[in-house]
Amino acid sequence: MTIKYKTIKEIKKMISQKEISNKEIVQEVYKLAKENSHLNAFVTLNEDNSFKKAEDLDNNPSGSSLAGIPIAQKDLFCTKGLRTTCGSKILNNFIPPYTATVIENLENAGCISVGKTNMDEFAMGSSNETSYFGNVHNPWGEKLVPGGSSGGSASAIASGIVPAASGTDTGGSIRQPASLCGITGIKPTYGRVSRWGMIAFASSLDQAGPMARTVEDCALLLNEMCSHDIKDTTSLDEDIPNFEDDLNQSLKDKKIGIIKDLDLSTLNNDVVAIYEDSLEEFVSLGAKLVDISLPNLSLSVPTYYVVAPAECSSNLSRFDGVKFGRRSEDPKDLEELYVQTRSEGFGDEVKRRILIGSYVLSAGYYDAYYKKAQQVRRLIKKDFDEAFSNVDVIMTPTTRGPAFEMGSKGDDPIQMYLEDLFTISANLAGLPAMSLPNGNIDNKPIGLQIIGNFLNESTILNFGHMYQTKTNWHMYTPEGVKK
Amino acid sequence: MDKKTVTTISYLSRLKIDGEKEEKIIKDLDNIIGFVDKLNDVDTSNIEPLTNPLEKTAKTRKDEVTAKNLKKELLEVAPSANEDFFLVPRVVE
Repeated sequence: MTIKYKTIKEIKKMISQKEISNKEIVQEVYKLAKENSHLNAFVTLNEDNSFKKAEDLDNNPSGSSLAGIPIAQKDLFCTKGLRTTCGSKILNNFIPPYTATVIENLENAGCISVGKTNMDEFAMGSSNETSYFGNVHNPWGEKLVPGGSSGGSASAIASGIVPAASGTDTGGSIRQPASLCGITGIKPTYGRVSRWGMIAFASSLDQAGPMARTVEDCALLLNEMCSHDIKDTTSLDEDIPNFEDDLNQSLKDKKIGIIKDLDLSTLNNDVVAIYEDSLEEFVSLGAKLVDISLPNLSLSVPTYYVVAPAECSSNLSRFDGVKFGRRSEDPKDLEELYVQTRSEGFGDEVKRRILIGSYVLSAGYYDAYYKKAQQVRRLIKKDFDEAFSNVDVIMTPTTRGPAFEMGSKGDDPIQMYLEDLFTISANLAGLPAMSLPNGNIDNKPIGLQIIGNFLNESTILNFGHMYQTKTNWHMYTPEGVKK
Repeated sequence: MDKKTVTTISYLSRLKIDGEKEEKIIKDLDNIIGFVDKLNDVDTSNIEPLTNPLEKTAKTRKDEVTAKNLKKELLEVAPSANEDFFLVPRVVE
């Protein structure tokens, strides 16, 4: 029995029918992780603790919903006693004294955190080429990027090492790697999942979510990840539905918003054809296509590249070499301690964003950039509010094309920023959005994005699950279609 | 974006820019600011800034001690500390 490419649901069944022990599952995860070490998906493995937890479960079987399910945790979540680097040299040796709420929630549900996954440094990147711990590789092809920033999580699932992983999404960091690696990932509504213990990048945009092989598995994970947490003042105190309940609802007469302002001409032609095929599939499931207008959508990338760097420059001021993390050696005074520690500890992309943030927040530019961007942010949100008065979901391609080669975006940062063209607006508006595989181009997967209204994860999961009952794109693996 | 501006914002950011990288950084920042400048074409008169998608006032909670004293654990992860304090180079002579 193997767990390679198995879903959570399948592994749960294997455990309950005693086809495999919890210890055997963990053994296989580490065997697969080592066979795939060239992917560089993990920064730190958590072997001793995982074996201990698996043996405990074998001795005392648990009824918890995710008992024994191996999960990879993005290295941006603090894990008590287990190194947490955020892909940065500055946290190279940081061992947190506490665990993030969302990780605790998953572990309380029985998940085994088998390791910490590689990522773009401080989640700033769309290709996993900015990690201090080296590039992550996409299992779908040599030299291909897995996307980013949750690229290690996506690569670990796509290569079949684990059935599930946690990710975070500030401008597309769950959905874009999910698209490029052929898996499913959802960014919930802002505030659904506690940010306590998540290393902050842009606090008004950051949101954690699940990545897995299927929509159904994402629903299972989301059930456990969401909670109201008094330790996070932006954590929503709203009812959390059982996200499995509506998966099989009929899509008859449900409305899909198609953005008529979207310029598809800059996209890979195959992406457009695949997107249109997917819409046809939904029509055959009974859904209706409705034209909507999001006139300010094209402003979402520039808005993001003011708001996110501004929040990043504030959040990353805490890395000063005093209280935790790496400190430069032999600084001659306190000022040099700060400057040397930060200059040695951060990579180029992180520095670029801190500098932009300092610029847009500085006296004389605050109104012209930061305030202006927040005003445009409201216009973008209003566009969505109006659109959702008439449709149930909005669909777009997740990315402009399939996985690209490492280094191919050149050294112009804006080319990389445009990778997130379709994903960023959901973060600005705080809306839930998901990517799921909907086609292949030259044996490289791509994804469809489904955006939902505020707190309406159940609706996008319903659309996604119904699509996966009719299509088998989620069954594709780098080694062929799963039987 | 000129050299003087980059010197100011790198000071504000407590970052030192290597001489050899300075030209590239000025160019990148210039391109990024040029890119976000298209926001200036939008009429935003009378539009309230949106600082947070929830638009809710942060919830308060009772001022009760819920966590135990973590002094030892927190000082342990510091790059330099004694039993009571974080240590940094001497500030006052």
